[in-house]
Amino acid sequence: MSTPDADGAVTGAVPDREPGRLGRLSARYGRALVTALTLVTVVFLIGPVLVTFVASFFQNWTGLFPSGGLTLQNWAQALGIADTVGAARGLGGFWTFVAPDVLFVLQLPLLPDLTLYFPFDFYIQTPIPMALGFSVLLALLGVFINLLVGVPVAYAVTRYDFRGRRLMNTFAVLPIVPGIILGIAFLKTYPGLPSVIALVLGYSLLKIPYMVLAVQSSFESMDLRQMEESARSLGASWTTTFLRVIVPGAKQGIISGSIICWTLAAAEFNFSYVVYSSGPRPFSLFLFENISNNPFLRAAAAISIYFVIVAAVTALLNYVGENGFSVGGVR
Amino acid sequence: MAERVRLDDITKRFDETLAVDDVSLAVEPGETVGLVGPSGCGKTTTLRTVAGFETPTEGRVLFADEEVTHVPPEQRNVGLVFQSYALFDNMTVRENVEFGLKMRDVPETERAERAEELLDLLDIGGMGDRDPTTLSGGQQQRVGLARALAIEPRVLLLDEPMTGLDAKLKTRLQEEIGSLLEEIDVTSLYVTHDQAEAMVMCDRIAVMNDGRIEQVGTPAEIYEAPANGFVADFVGTSNRLDATVRNGELDFGHATVEAPADAPEGEVTVVARPEAFALDGGPVEATVEDRFYLGEHVRVSARTPDDQELTLRFDPEHAPADGRVTLSLDTDRVHLLRG
Repeated sequence: MSTPDADGAVTGAVPDREPGRLGRLSARYGRALVTALTLVTVVFLIGPVLVTFVASFFQNWTGLFPSGGLTLQNWAQALGIADTVGAARGLGGFWTFVAPDVLFVLQLPLLPDLTLYFPFDFYIQTPIPMALGFSVLLALLGVFINLLVGVPVAYAVTRYDFRGRRLMNTFAVLPIVPGIILGIAFLKTYPGLPSVIALVLGYSLLKIPYMVLAVQSSFESMDLRQMEESARSLGASWTTTFLRVIVPGAKQGIISGSIICWTLAAAEFNFSYVVYSSGPRPFSLFLFENISNNPFLRAAAAISIYFVIVAAVTALLNYVGENGFSVGGVR
Repeated sequence: MAERVRLDDITKRFDETLAVDDVSLAVEPGETVGLVGPSGCGKTTTLRTVAGFETPTEGRVLFADEEVTHVPPEQRNVGLVFQSYALFDNMTVRENVEFGLKMRDVPETERAERAEELLDLLDIGGMGDRDPTTLSGGQQQRVGLARALAIEPRVLLLDEPMTGLDAKLKTRLQEEIGSLLEEIDVTSLYVTHDQAEAMVMCDRIAVMNDGRIEQVGTPAEIYEAPANGFVADFVGTSNRLDATVRNGELDFGHATVEAPADAPEGEVTVVARPEAFALDGGPVEATVEDRFYLGEHVRVSARTPDDQELTLRFDPEHAPADGRVTLSLDTDRVHLLRG
C-alpha cells in the first residue's frame, strides 16, 4: 500500500469555497460576540446579588452603592442574635404551639432552647440559626425521598417497557401541581398533620419531576440492559447490581438532581406558606419574614444568609455525591 | 478444565413469535463455536439462553453433564462480552476486572494478582488505574474480555464484540483474540452477523436462520460445502445457477460443462463461488454489467444469456472490459443442491 499524499488528498477532497457574507462575519466576530453576551448576562445577573451581599455588611444603602461603616448588625438581626432582643422575638416568633394536654415535658440539658412536650410534638422555642439548620435538613429529607422514589422510577421508565410506561413517564416529569394548590389540598386532606411531615412530603412531591428528569438523562446514556447482564453474569444479584453498578453509573444525574431538588425545595414559598403552622420555620418563610416589614439591609442580610447556605449545601451534595459512591463500589 | 456446553432441543417462544426453533448444539471443551446469521435469526436469544437471561420454552442447557436450564445467571458462572462493552464507568479498569472476583469473595491480594495477570494477557497492563471511558474502543473491549475471563467462566459468551470497531482495528483484534481463545482453555460461543469474522475467530460455525440452525461445520466446510441455498448465500459471495444434470454433463441451458463426479441426475442448483470461474474462453457466456474496483480485486456483475446473475472476481490486471466474456467453470469447486 502506498503512503497517501496528504496535500493531494486535502485539495482533492475539499475544494476551497468562498464563505458567504454571513459566514465571514461569523468567523471574524462570532466568538467575541458570544463571549460578550455571556459576560453581560453574568454581570447583569450576578451584579445585584453581589451588591446585595456586600451591602448586608454596611450601615446604609441609599444610593447605588452601600455606605457607612462595616457592621455585622444586619446579619445578627436576621439571625435573631442581635442585642435588641425584642425585635427578633417579636418578628420571628419561633415558638407558636402550646400542647394543651401535656403529659410530661422533656428539657434536654445540652439544648436549653429545645423543649419536648409529650404526647404531642416537640414544639419549641427555636433560635433562628437552629431553625435554619432544621430547614436545611427538612429540604434534605425531601431530597432523600426524591432519591428513593425518583431513581427507581427513572430506572424503570428507561429500562423496561411496560403497560403504562408512557403515562408514568409523563406524570413523573410534569410538575403539574402548583405548590399553593398542593398546600391547600394537604390542609384539607390531612388536617392534623404536623408541619414538619407535611413540609417534607410536599417538597418531595413537588420536586420529584426534576429528580426523575436528571437521573433519567444519566440512565439514557448507559446501556442498562447490557451493564446489568454483565454484572449478573459476574455473580452479582439483582439488588447488588442495582446498588453497585446501575445507581453509581447515574452519579452525575443523581448529584445534579439532588442539588436542583434541594434548592427548589428550600425556595418553595407557596406550599410552605400555606402548610406551615408550627415548629421551626421553613427557609422561604424566614426570607419572607425578613423581607416584608423590615429595613432593607436586614432583608439583604437574610438573602445573603440564604445564598451562603445554598452554596454550602450545593458544595456538600456535590462532595458527598462525588465521594460517596465509591463506598458502594468495588474498593 | 474446560467443559462441554450442550443445547438440547432448545425452543424459545415470545408470545406468538418463535425466536428459537428446536436448536441443538454441542460446543466441545475449549472450542469456539460461532453463531452467525442475519439479525432476528435467533442467535442472540440462543446466547442469552445459555447465559440464563432467557428460560427456554422447551429444551435443556447443559454445562458438562449438569443441567443449568433454570439456574439464575449470577450462579451460572458464564463470562459475557458485549458489543457496547458495558464496562462499569464508576469503577477503574482494575475494579472492573476484579468485580466478579469480589462478588465471589476472593481475597484482595489474589484479586489484584489475577487482574494484573489478565490485563497483561490482554495487552492493557498499566491501564489498571484508568477510568474505562478514557480508553479507546479496542482497549475497552479488552477490558470487557478480561473482566469476563477473570471469573474463569464455564463458558465465555461473546455477543457481537467487534461490531463497534473500525475495520482495521477489528482485523487486528480478531487475530489477537482469536489466537487468545485458542491458547486459553475456555469453551466459547461467539455471536456475530459477520460471517468473515466468525471464520477468523471460530473453530466451528453454526449458521442460523429463522430460529433454526441450518448447518454446523468448520469454516471450510461451511464455505466449500454449504448445506443449502441459505448458507451458500449467507457465507461469502456465491452464485446460484439453475441447471440440469444429464449424462454426466451439467446443462445450464445456454452452456454445458462436465458435471462433478458424484452429481445426481436431474434438476439442481449449482452453487459456485466467484473464484470458480476463470476468464479463459470457456463455454459459459455472460455480459458484463458493472465493475467495482476494490483494490485487491475487481468485482464484476454479469448476466448470462438466459438472464441469470453472476458475481465474478478478477485480478485488477486481468479484469475484462465491458461487453461479452466467455468463462470456464471449475466443477471441482462447485457445490450442487438438489432441485
